[in-house]
Amino acid sequence: MRTDPTVLAELDELERALAGEPSPWSELVADVRAERPVMTDAFAARLDSRVDEARRAPARRPGWLLWSPAAGLAAALVVAVVLVSGNDTGTSPPASSPSVASDAAKSAAPQAGGGSASSELAAPGGATAPRPLSGRRVERTTALALSTARSDVQSVADDVIATTHRFGGIVDSSQISTSDSEASAVFALRIPTRRLDDAIAALSKLAHVASLSQGSTDITGSFVSAIDRLKDARAERRALLKALARATTTQAVDALKARLRDNRSQISAVKGELNSLRRRANLARVDVTIDGHGKKGNGAHPPGAWTPGDAAGDALRVLEVGAGVLLIGLAAAVPLALLGGAAAMAARTTRRRRRESALDGV
Amino acid sequence: MALPARPDAASSFEALYRSCGADVYAYVASLLRDRAAAEDVTALAFERALRRRRSFDRARGSERAWLFGIARNAALDELRRRSRTAALVTDPPDEALADDEDPDRRATVRAALASLDPRERELIALKFHAGLSNAEIAKVIGASESAAGTRLHRAVTKLREACHAH
Repeated sequence: MRTDPTVLAELDELERALAGEPSPWSELVADVRAERPVMTDAFAARLDSRVDEARRAPARRPGWLLWSPAAGLAAALVVAVVLVSGNDTGTSPPASSPSVASDAAKSAAPQAGGGSASSELAAPGGATAPRPLSGRRVERTTALALSTARSDVQSVADDVIATTHRFGGIVDSSQISTSDSEASAVFALRIPTRRLDDAIAALSKLAHVASLSQGSTDITGSFVSAIDRLKDARAERRALLKALARATTTQAVDALKARLRDNRSQISAVKGELNSLRRRANLARVDVTIDGHGKKGNGAHPPGAWTPGDAAGDALRVLEVGAGVLLIGLAAAVPLALLGGAAAMAARTTRRRRRESALDGV
Repeated sequence: MALPARPDAASSFEALYRSCGADVYAYVASLLRDRAAAEDVTALAFERALRRRRSFDRARGSERAWLFGIARNAALDELRRRSRTAALVTDPPDEALADDEDPDRRATVRAALASLDPRERELIALKFHAGLSNAEIAKVIGASESAAGTRLHRAVTKLREACHAH
């Protein structure tokens, strides 16, 4: 905004008067200056004393300057950790400690109640499926991936078979393939459900656990339905037999015998279905894959060993998590800082307006 | 955390105190129109300035403007406090000032000053009693330099007219 030239000229005259030069404002300046409040000698002495006292006290930084950045950082880190831990549902890459893996495997159990459930244990020590409620029939499935040196695949495969037998299980199918650079084995096992946890723990000790996932399917409904159908078929059979005893004509006897044949077939089919369901509930399906690569001591490693490769992987993971925490912390801190800045600005404006309003009330 | 005062900062503050002490008191007393309160506020302003001397930024204005800003805030806080707790009481005319050769003229000027709006009286005090430049006044009252000049001109003109009217 440009000031009126007349106003500027008069302000210049005022400045001249204040500087003691001749000016139309000189008289007014002298009169107003004569009204200037003057401090008494007593107050001047008191003021010197208070200022001296204040001068001896060390200057202090405002308290909030010290704690606000630290508090902001701490708050951001807390938010970040909460977010990270909330998102970390066990999908991280596998760790390499078989002992931990076995612990995880031991605690793994199927989900019950719902139709089906699964729990991924990508890293040993992750989530485990809860045990089934009593009276329910649950089919459990497990997929276990082991990794070892290429030259060890065969011996680990032998151990898998031996472990399966040791726990009363059976090998439904197995396939072992080897080449110059790689070797692998795939097994489909059936292991008694009641010993599944121990069996998985034992299998996990055979090699490095690359991944472990477990699932469960509630087959109680199918089981109850089959039992009901078997009961109905048996009741029908009893009724047919009674009717056959009372039949007097050849035609009636033949018809009843035909229905009895159908009934027997129906009973047999339902029994087969029941047996299948019992087998699924009693024998958990375990799919084991063994991945062999590299040479012993060069890339692959024996169970329990923590190699430089593992260390590098862990270090990378730590860096990833650290970067994630930092990123989330920043994402949380920036809006908070903006809000804080806006609040501080609003508070400053309000304080200034309140102070200015004091002049209106004089 | 306590910070040791730097020698140059201490001497700079000492110079500021010596050069501005009386001016700050004159400004605050004109604003409050209460000598006892003006003494308290003046001392408080210098204590605050000492505590905050590290926050002074020369790029944002002169030391005088910074100091008068602190004094102004302290004075306005005092005005607010007094408006909340009791009716504002102003001092009677200073007896020491009454002893002069032209009491009627002094009374006229005093009446003219009293007739001014508080904001105008503040500008007069900053200009005539404290001797601040228009740029410094602008910093103190939080306005642009041109706005401060315009307001000052209006206040001075009103004061002159009031003097003539009386």
